[in-house]
Amino acid sequence: MPSKEALPPATLAAVYDELKALLGERATTEPFHRLAYSRDWSPRPATEDHLPQIVVIPHTTDEVAAIVRLAYAHSVPVTPFAGGTGMGGGCIPLHGGILVDTKGLQQILELDQDNLTVTTQTGITIHKLNEELAKHGLWFPHQPESKRASTVGAAIGCDNDSTFGIRYGKILEVLSNLVVVTGTGEVLRVGWRKASVSSTGYKLLPLFVGSEGTLGVVTEATLRIYAIPATREVRGYVCRSLADGLAATERLLNAGLAIDSAHLNCRARLHFYTHTYRQQHGHEPDVPAWAEAVLFVSFAGDQDVVQFSLAKAQAILSGEYHAEEIKEREIVDSWWASKHLVEFIPFKQKWPDSQRQKKFGAADLGLPFGRIEEAYHRFLDIAARWEQDVLGMTVYNESPNKVSPSISFAVFVDDTTPESAAKFHGYLREMSTMAVEMEGTMSSYIGDGDRLVGLNALEHGPSLAYMRRIKAMFDPKGIMNPGKKFAPD
Amino acid sequence: MEDEGRRTKDQRPQTKDQGLKTQDHGLRTQDHGLRDLAADIYTCNRTRCGFCREECPVYRLEGYETYSCRGKMLVARGLLEGTLQPSQALADALAACALCGYCQARCALQNVAIIEALRAELAAAGYAIPATQASVESLRTQGSIYGQVPEVTRQGTTPLYLGCLYRTKPQELNTALSVLERLGFDPLIAPEACCGYLAEATGFPADFALAQARFREVYEPYLEQEILTLCPTCTITLRDRYGLRAKHALVAVAERLADPAVAAKLDRNLLAGRRATYHDPCHLGRMLGVMEEPRAVLRVLGIELVEMPQNRYFSACCGGGGGLTQAHPKLSVEIGKNRVREAYATGVETIITACPTCQPTLLKAASRLANEIDTFVDVLDLWELLRQALEVSSQS
Repeated sequence: MPSKEALPPATLAAVYDELKALLGERATTEPFHRLAYSRDWSPRPATEDHLPQIVVIPHTTDEVAAIVRLAYAHSVPVTPFAGGTGMGGGCIPLHGGILVDTKGLQQILELDQDNLTVTTQTGITIHKLNEELAKHGLWFPHQPESKRASTVGAAIGCDNDSTFGIRYGKILEVLSNLVVVTGTGEVLRVGWRKASVSSTGYKLLPLFVGSEGTLGVVTEATLRIYAIPATREVRGYVCRSLADGLAATERLLNAGLAIDSAHLNCRARLHFYTHTYRQQHGHEPDVPAWAEAVLFVSFAGDQDVVQFSLAKAQAILSGEYHAEEIKEREIVDSWWASKHLVEFIPFKQKWPDSQRQKKFGAADLGLPFGRIEEAYHRFLDIAARWEQDVLGMTVYNESPNKVSPSISFAVFVDDTTPESAAKFHGYLREMSTMAVEMEGTMSSYIGDGDRLVGLNALEHGPSLAYMRRIKAMFDPKGIMNPGKKFAPD
Repeated sequence: MEDEGRRTKDQRPQTKDQGLKTQDHGLRTQDHGLRDLAADIYTCNRTRCGFCREECPVYRLEGYETYSCRGKMLVARGLLEGTLQPSQALADALAACALCGYCQARCALQNVAIIEALRAELAAAGYAIPATQASVESLRTQGSIYGQVPEVTRQGTTPLYLGCLYRTKPQELNTALSVLERLGFDPLIAPEACCGYLAEATGFPADFALAQARFREVYEPYLEQEILTLCPTCTITLRDRYGLRAKHALVAVAERLADPAVAAKLDRNLLAGRRATYHDPCHLGRMLGVMEEPRAVLRVLGIELVEMPQNRYFSACCGGGGGLTQAHPKLSVEIGKNRVREAYATGVETIITACPTCQPTLLKAASRLANEIDTFVDVLDLWELLRQALEVSSQS
């Protein structure tokens, strides 16, 4: 698809010459390279693509700053690209221009074991970062399911979800400082260095979390890290309702347990996460017919504390909520492999194998937890109305030590034609409207991307104008990832 | 500049009812052009998980998405839809792949077949790599990618297919034969024709078909028998592409050494306690599934094995496969150096492997790396270690 605002050839040539001088082989206009950056994981017609006009791979903050200053001088769009696994279109260069592949920012800059922080360039994948930290007995707990490909920068830009959100929160909880190249090319340090809290000034740091590259390119981040727990145990429970599953989770927390992870699935969603089980055993996992929901919880820490926590959780779940523990270990292991380890049977990785006919697509709503049953039934109705096959619902909890639903309402999207793909967007619009009606938010881990453009006024009302002003402060020419978050004034 | 190299799309892909059977692993068993592989290409297009990307040995060095399999899938889509035109630059980029299959192990699609089909598209459009083209020309005219190779024959009972590379390496061949003979095998070495792997790998399916025909004609008396092999690449080609009962000789050796009476033939003091790591050749390991047998042999030899982080199914390539050494020799060496670095980081100074491509490729990389890390990491051939252990044993 041609860029919406393709640069005039003379401008493109001038910008490219300067970028070549700066970066050499790390700048290209080769059509095949540009094509390779034309999509992410967001639902859109199978043949749709959006090409940047130039791709660059900077290695330092200074190089990013030089790139953006050049773009600013020539009013060229700049789109940061990281893991490319986003489901909202955030890294797609809708308006062409320069695509900044942040994967070149790979260096860990400082591991401060005394203060349990790591300062890193943002192009490192979360998986790789954890491999490096593990050499020192440490880990970074913000772990999205895409962590093999997605980066620290992507976690900041998209504000994505984490397996361990119920204990450690999302990235903002473990992010204390960042370096950003704004839309003018200015290099700005934002945050409270290695301190965990601050009461000074205005809190600019959260502005960049979930900003999707619309305010600048985040190039460095300081993160809180932890000692790897001595042990971790995962258990699965079948519950009589989704509401029971959430209420039980809240009860576990109120009892004083430190839950490491908690995910609640409808029956249909369990099917999606037990791909490995089916591959190994050739049949569906055996779940009682009465079970409406499946809750997976994990506890991590010293062996005796974990064992006590498991016993206490068992007493509460079975005694107070009549949930039953899943005894077949392979079902639980299959879930955990899919969710956290992201290890699959060689040559049988779940993701492509599950997308052969239709693709994964989700409305990701943040909702008050008391309305979970209502939300689930409305989800089924809305999906049916828009002819979307239900993949299922997972409730993530993404705020420390509280039930804090971040809910994936997932469907299989027929992306064969623009018309069939448009039905998903109809579904998404109606689900987003429902979120506001239910006193929640339209997105809790994917972000706006280009998919919620036009809907934000419904959620944000008059405050949207303030968001636009913030955008203009950091990106006065509107060159940073144009077409994302909200439509221009 | 914007639309250079791109054409207007002329058709919409059919993504339904094109389900191709995906193999567990290994090479494909059928001939597929790019269009036949459209279902897998569009599955990647709608997935984008990127699990193939991070540890791809070429992507790690080259950086652009195109060098990962995920990026190549979008390139494939562009060629399928006619929005991207073939070019020499694209042929060069596609040649920058060792076809090591790491991406396929992290996936569920026919990644290697798609990359081969992409190369074939480019070659058919007139964009080939001169160095690989010369090898294929040699295959066409002289019957081997290495030009004239000596014919080796031996009277025996068990067919043993040597492959071109071993036939150019008399010392290594004699080593392997010596081991097999001392362990009681009676190899039958007949006149051979090249398996033709490189022709298919580098985008010349017609030459591969020619090589197949020639092979079947020359090797006709043994096609119904179990054939022992020495070269992992020949083994998988014979097994998956020819449908033959090819069995890598190391598997047979491991089976025999499982018998304590046979194992007693080895001098177990020669290498006892030596610390080393084992490099899984891509074709032998993740594609043929021969991962435990070489390790079992090494344990019989008394070697203390230290595993590299990337091992077995997810082993990292040496950089020597898929025509990469011909097309991009410097890149090939850099990939090898990364593998040697990984070995060195485990605290060992010896790599053992079992492939006539991996061993010299890694050895060359180790030599180049020696100055940088101030250590020469030796790269040994498993057959040679076996030979020494058997020879010392027989002398004593």
